[in-house]
Amino acid sequence: MRALLATEFYKLIKQSRTYYALAAIFVIEGVVLFSAYYQGAGIIDIVLSNLKDTFYFEGNLLNGNLVTYFILNSLWFHVPLILIIIMSGLLTTEYRDKTLQTVMMQPVKKWQYILSKYIVAIVFTACVVFVLALTSFLLSYALFGKGDLIVYVNGLTFFEHDDALLRLVYAFIVGAVSMVFFSVVSVTLAVIFKEAMKTWIIAAFFLILSNILLKVDFGSELLNKLLYVKLNDTWQYFFAFEIPWNTIYLNVGLLMAYILLTMGVGVYVFQKKDIG
Amino acid sequence: MIQRLILILLCISSLSSLAQEQDEDLLRVKERLDTVSAFTADLKLDVDISFINMPQKTATVKFKKGEPMSFSSKEFALIPKRGLDFSFQELFEYPFITVDRGMETIAGKELKVVNVIPTDRKADFSIATVYLDVKAERIVISEISTKKDGTYTLLLDYSTSEAVLPSQVEVQFEMERIRLPLNFMGKGIDVDRKKMRKEEVKTGKIFLTMEYKTISY
Repeated sequence: MRALLATEFYKLIKQSRTYYALAAIFVIEGVVLFSAYYQGAGIIDIVLSNLKDTFYFEGNLLNGNLVTYFILNSLWFHVPLILIIIMSGLLTTEYRDKTLQTVMMQPVKKWQYILSKYIVAIVFTACVVFVLALTSFLLSYALFGKGDLIVYVNGLTFFEHDDALLRLVYAFIVGAVSMVFFSVVSVTLAVIFKEAMKTWIIAAFFLILSNILLKVDFGSELLNKLLYVKLNDTWQYFFAFEIPWNTIYLNVGLLMAYILLTMGVGVYVFQKKDIG
Repeated sequence: MIQRLILILLCISSLSSLAQEQDEDLLRVKERLDTVSAFTADLKLDVDISFINMPQKTATVKFKKGEPMSFSSKEFALIPKRGLDFSFQELFEYPFITVDRGMETIAGKELKVVNVIPTDRKADFSIATVYLDVKAERIVISEISTKKDGTYTLLLDYSTSEAVLPSQVEVQFEMERIRLPLNFMGKGIDVDRKKMRKEEVKTGKIFLTMEYKTISY
């Protein structure tokens, strides 16, 4: 199993696609930083224009915490989209290049092989979110400094710097779980569809649908709580004035169960399916 | 004939002086406030506005007679434009007349109610109602109707019976409900648009707690 994992990591690192995708994530980060630098003050002015009649503002709201929050919001769509492209490639390239057949001719168990793919997908996803978070904090604080964070979640909410930093860190951690879910789904779709283009389209469609369904009321409190689409915004809960810890624990637990279930389906299908 | 004319003129002048009379209790309060020439204080601000969640903020406030109050804060703070004039400089800045509205008992205290009406167009309020603690010679409540910024009310609390300046102030004010360009703020937002339309104008409260560092008389 260790050898399989080492091989899979090696293959991922050697793929040029991995670096294109990572570059894409950092380009998005750069664009957010650039636009915040040149337009951020204007955005804050628009957001607070109503309050300006009633209040004086003392202090700076365009700071590293707000810019990091903007980057964090790329977890809604941009980051998972790029991740599903990379992760589906873990398997679809093997199908395309017929290397899968070569590997299967070795004394390798199928379930171990596909499990190693999932583990690599999970570790890589966690690393990407970690690097995204780290660079966001470093660059944002270096360029914009520290200060209070303003967000709009059930009203305008202000957090002091230390509190904001902690909430952003928690949000990245829980956001990573959501990203892992999309990566695992992507690998599972690759197991089912084999072809790269088909898998990308279906995985992207899955992501779009998940985002749309997040706001749909399913008419049942149980469904609204338990369906995976209702769990992918859990990282946003850290920006409620009072953090709903119990809901977060439950959602993260459920999301992990969904991840394991998706992996289980993938392993089962791969085990049963002909590799040809 | 000349005597009659003089008598009429005297009557008119006395009537006019009667109409321009200023409440003596209010003048005593004003005189007492006028003795404060400068102060600095540490300010704690607690915001109570339905659509704003903000932890307690701190700021430093500096006042010098004849100058607008200045604020500074190490952190981000929303400081109300109205209601921080504890010395009531703005109320007495321009000539005014008063109307005695009698006594009213509020929270077990007998307070004198006086309307203050500025006679100069430059004043930025049209009418103010002040509730005076005549014995302590200070303002306990003031409701000020401004020409541009709606009405705001100050509820003042004093730490000692001799204190000239309040130690706690509750500022109540009207404000328009915030209109956000939602696209900027991410999509984890639930907006009840009907409710938003209903609540065009909201009443907000700010609770201020002052700890005076220096007071110059």
